[in-house]
Amino acid sequence: MKIALVGNQNSGKTTLFNLLTGTNQKIGNWPGVTIERKVGRIKDLGDDLVDLPGIYSLSPYTIEEEISRNFVLDGKPDLIINIVDATSIERSLYLTTQLMELDTKVIIALNMADRLEAKGICIDTEKLSKEIGTDVVKISALKETGIEELKSIIRRNKNAQVKSKEIFKSSLENEILKVRNELKVNRFMAIKILENDKLYQKYQIAIVKNSRQKLEETYKMDIEEIIANLRYDYIVEIKNKSAKMKSVKESMSDKLDKIFLNKFIAFPIFIAIMFLVYYLSVGVVGSFTVDWVAGIVENFGLLVEQGLTNLGASNWSTSLVVDGIIAGVGAVLGFVPQLTILFLCISILETTGYMSRVTFLLDKLFKKFGLSGETLVPFIVGLGCSVPAIMSTRIIKDNKERDLSIMLTPFIPCSAKLPIIAMFTGYFFADNSGLVSASLYFFAIAIILLSAIIIKKLFMKNSGTAFISELPEYKLPSVKYVARDVFDKVKEFIKRAGTIILFCSVTIWFLLSFSWKLEYGIEVEDSILASIGNTISWIFYPMLGTFSWEAAVSAIQGLVAKEQVISSMSIIAGFAEEIEEGSMLFKSAAFKFFTPISAYAFMVFNLFSAPCFGAIGAMKRELGSTKKMLKAIAFQTALAWILASLVFNVGTFMSSF
Amino acid sequence: MKNKVLKKGDKAHLSDLKIGQRAKVLGLHLDKPELRRHLLDMGITKGTEILIKKVAPMGDPVDIELRGYELCIRKEEMKNIDIEVL
Repeated sequence: MKIALVGNQNSGKTTLFNLLTGTNQKIGNWPGVTIERKVGRIKDLGDDLVDLPGIYSLSPYTIEEEISRNFVLDGKPDLIINIVDATSIERSLYLTTQLMELDTKVIIALNMADRLEAKGICIDTEKLSKEIGTDVVKISALKETGIEELKSIIRRNKNAQVKSKEIFKSSLENEILKVRNELKVNRFMAIKILENDKLYQKYQIAIVKNSRQKLEETYKMDIEEIIANLRYDYIVEIKNKSAKMKSVKESMSDKLDKIFLNKFIAFPIFIAIMFLVYYLSVGVVGSFTVDWVAGIVENFGLLVEQGLTNLGASNWSTSLVVDGIIAGVGAVLGFVPQLTILFLCISILETTGYMSRVTFLLDKLFKKFGLSGETLVPFIVGLGCSVPAIMSTRIIKDNKERDLSIMLTPFIPCSAKLPIIAMFTGYFFADNSGLVSASLYFFAIAIILLSAIIIKKLFMKNSGTAFISELPEYKLPSVKYVARDVFDKVKEFIKRAGTIILFCSVTIWFLLSFSWKLEYGIEVEDSILASIGNTISWIFYPMLGTFSWEAAVSAIQGLVAKEQVISSMSIIAGFAEEIEEGSMLFKSAAFKFFTPISAYAFMVFNLFSAPCFGAIGAMKRELGSTKKMLKAIAFQTALAWILASLVFNVGTFMSSF
Repeated sequence: MKNKVLKKGDKAHLSDLKIGQRAKVLGLHLDKPELRRHLLDMGITKGTEILIKKVAPMGDPVDIELRGYELCIRKEEMKNIDIEVL
């Protein structure tokens, strides 16, 4: 059996989905986390459960809402679980009344039952069930209560037949009936046809138009308003019969908002929080672990080298394992501690509800630059990874603004860029690595805003989206969920190190060890990689102040995965190593030319240039054409080159005083 | 209208209200039909009571309370919502 999970944004759908299916999909305490539908199998029951993006109505407003509506209408689910935020049933039941017009059984799961008391709300489930005419069960997806009851209701309702219920005043019901009888359609379609919905244009015959005109004259409103009003009238009526609300004093969220949304300290708090995120993930553990891990990797490499030599392994195979695989993969794995802390910070900020405040806070500023608060969602998701961030632009209604956000989202330093930032800042700005890392984040925001205003002024006149979003309540993050979220992301990073990075490390080792004539045991300068690098090193001259094929080939590899830049650099450093104390990458002959200024410039290039292939693929999908995608990455790379060259030359000029 | 303090019974736009004021919706006049429809779906229908709850530090957007939940909306859209002060 196929079951659809439908509900408003931020109603706890994904939490319930994870609970029922045992998987761990992403959850955030902000609207719009589920972007594409996801399918899982319900434990114990074996039915397929489809998690859909949150919707408020079956008249979609954004693309992601359309995904949900299309599935509910065309995907033919056998059963719908409608998850309802029990703390705001009046708005939530609006969608419910629409779902119940379809010919599918709807089960109402009243979620967040654990928070009803604090909000002074008392709901009589039985009464509500009787009034609305379907099964209602109180659950708390977070506290895991009511789940067994929900499952038994699902079991009971396999293959249940339903008949839609009349809920409006007779004046409207009569017209609906007329349309139904005339066109032989179900209740849902009849209402949509009356509303003149785009979906059913071919049904607009005279009798429908007459009915609509008659209603509009009677009510002195247009048809959409009449139906919305009468729907809410019905909901208020059943709500008053089955629920009691006590007004509560100022809630915890209101108190917290007095601080976090305070006129004077809201912005300082936001900046402090972002600094803290970078300080914790780069500054505190940063330089410490880089040295530590470099030491471990070197010792492990020496150990393996000895072992392999004792076993009688050939020179080249020992070098492949030690100088290629261990050096390359090890370099990336060294950043697991930093990433763990970054993921932890992001996860906490997302689940508490603070991220929603950030969009509320920055909307006006972003609007001045031609972006809306909604574009902040991809910019925040992008701290983790650009791929889901680019997909989350679907919540943006205006197409031009959406394209713009897709193009600018990769500028946000994603977690794979963190190793680059951490390594460079850890060495060159050891005492202020947290500060310098955070400066890159704010630099990225500044460039995003500047790019937005320039592109808008030049190419996109008169476009703009309204900003309509819920402000969820603050929640304490669930330790269990945050732990799993961080664990999953770290696992994904390690998996990449063991696959893509491993493959690239072997390739780089090969290109470094052999000449074009496939001779082994050559000087590094005669290797294939060096000759490739030498043909492109001039591109990087303006930002490095020197011709470095080593840095050039490493930066190009950022296309595969951003952390590959680090992996490549450490393999090359290993090959070029002079006999010296320690194996510090920046002391090797290949990279000792780096100064703090060229280090910053090189970071800027890696931060803004074309993202990895994964993100490029996502850009192509979401922009809808290869041409647009190519334009976007050309723009990004050109901008990166200009900015990096500027940083280097201005920096060098200033330091000459 | 800008500087006048609105009293009970005054007719105005939602954007004219100050924090803590309550009003009843009289009608919506938005140019974009999908946007109007979206606001209706979100519960801003004729007769709905709205409370101005929080205002963003830069003065926009505004967090309003209606039908037992909170919604963020910009002044630009609020200008197109007619209300009567309660």
